[in-house]
Amino acid sequence: MLFGIVLVVFLVLQITPGDPARQIAGLRASEADLEEVRQELGLNDPVIAQYGRYVGNLLQGDLGYSYKSRKPVADIIGDRISVTVWLLTTGVLMTLLISVPLGVVAALRKDRVADHAIRGFGLLGLSMPAFWTGVILLLLVALPTGWFPAGGFGDTFGEKLRAIFLPALTLAIGSSPFIIRGLRAAMISVMESDYISTARSVGVAGGRLVRRFVLRNAAGPGVTLLAIEIGYLLFGAVVIETTFALPGVGQGLVIAAQGRDLPSVQGYTLLFALVVVAVYLLSDVVTAMLDPRVEIDT
Amino acid sequence: MTTPAFEAVPEAPQIAEASLAEPGAWKRMPKKVWVGCGIVLLYLLVALLAPVIAPYDPLAIEPANRLASPDMAHLLGTDELGRDIFSRLLYAARVDIPIGFLGALLPAILGTMLGAIAGYFGRWVDTAIMRTADVVQAFPAYILVIVLVFALGQGAGSIILAFTVLAWVIYARIIRGEVLRVRDRDYVQAARVAGLRKMRILRVHVFPNVINQTLVYLPNDIVFATLALAAFSFLGLGIPPPTPEWGAMIAEGQPFLRTNWWFATVPGLVIVGLGLGLSLIGEGLEEGLRA
Repeated sequence: MLFGIVLVVFLVLQITPGDPARQIAGLRASEADLEEVRQELGLNDPVIAQYGRYVGNLLQGDLGYSYKSRKPVADIIGDRISVTVWLLTTGVLMTLLISVPLGVVAALRKDRVADHAIRGFGLLGLSMPAFWTGVILLLLVALPTGWFPAGGFGDTFGEKLRAIFLPALTLAIGSSPFIIRGLRAAMISVMESDYISTARSVGVAGGRLVRRFVLRNAAGPGVTLLAIEIGYLLFGAVVIETTFALPGVGQGLVIAAQGRDLPSVQGYTLLFALVVVAVYLLSDVVTAMLDPRVEIDT
Repeated sequence: MTTPAFEAVPEAPQIAEASLAEPGAWKRMPKKVWVGCGIVLLYLLVALLAPVIAPYDPLAIEPANRLASPDMAHLLGTDELGRDIFSRLLYAARVDIPIGFLGALLPAILGTMLGAIAGYFGRWVDTAIMRTADVVQAFPAYILVIVLVFALGQGAGSIILAFTVLAWVIYARIIRGEVLRVRDRDYVQAARVAGLRKMRILRVHVFPNVINQTLVYLPNDIVFATLALAAFSFLGLGIPPPTPEWGAMIAEGQPFLRTNWWFATVPGLVIVGLGLGLSLIGEGLEEGLRA
């Protein structure tokens, strides 16, 4: 699977226009200089040889060197990754904080005012571009209160938390509607099932019914949803880090793409693909833990 | 498990039993659909009539009058090059709407056709199409769009192509399932016994009965395509300047948030409005067809 991804990314980037040697050596470099750079990078070798070398280096943790800064791509990613981990963790936590209560309420009050209000919010959330939500939060919260930095990342724990709060909230506003929708649907289908009628008939009711019987059974689809959303969350990170000038890997990818820095783009893309595959695996494990009926097939 | 086109709308699609071809089907549609259609029609009209309504050339620079506040001459003020923001918003509709619609419509057509072929012919055709779908789906779609656009070069064509390559999968999956459901129904068998050619059976007897799912999905996908386009342009990876585009305008306006707050916010409102209209159509169609 992962090798397939590596191959596709490698091939797609082969068709990129432009001469990397020219990019590195600069506009005034002579043809001899260019040839030297090409030799050095092995750009004259057949594509298959280049691919073999790339995969070989990859296995040793070597992602190549950035055309721009000439630093190892792995180091650049390493410097940036903690910001993105912060953003994603806080963002997912906030998503859960927002969507679980709202999803439960919408399901329990199906077709009543609260349900309609929550679904209306969802529809609105779906139509709002994340970067715009971020801009609005900057305008309405960061500028008037002055509590949150308009960009950048801090050094101490408190500073980091302050820098990450609005970006994470932006991420949560964008991703909550899907989770609310899915959770609502899952809970409604669970509540219509026989074992809930049985539990009701033996006198289980109220919060206990919801927590022990309904939510527990609806949690599986919820986790799967969150995993499917990882692609959206990663793209959200790309957009939101750019909006809030957070120096994470998402912003790194944008800078690399704008600067036509091929090895960096390749490195970031592989990182994202790896995360997606890992999250899918993890979600299977968590679903199995939540529901003993589910077996992991390997 | 069905993973949707743009890794969003995670709900398993409901099977729409009612057909739009039935008499009176449109009358049973919830009011939402019509409200949504009204909104979308308004946007289409604006896109069509932009050259007539717009008071200024969207590319005309007026350096003496940069970052002006809204007044009678410039309804939404001017940007950092002195271009009229209102006119640029109107002209941007001619960029965002066609790309958003095409970026969703092409994958829908491709996916629906491939799904129908996979489902109806089965065997190696099915295997080949669905394996390809598996591979495409394993990628984080948006990230791959960035890579594809990076490789192909910026511009409308690259973006539409990237969307098409990635988003057909969901339609193929849904329609394949639907075709499998319909394939062995009596009327299809009857058509087969009557000796009709395969393509004709597929076109006349199978297709009209499975097309609903595509229609339910399409409006949501247009929203995603439009939002994605705006996002890529916001990042400076989509439509290159100076072409007016809503996402790019938000990026242009962000540095001036403190003084000219309308510059970055209004283009977003415009996107949200279009998104709401399309979402209403999508939700309404889903409800109306399930009933």
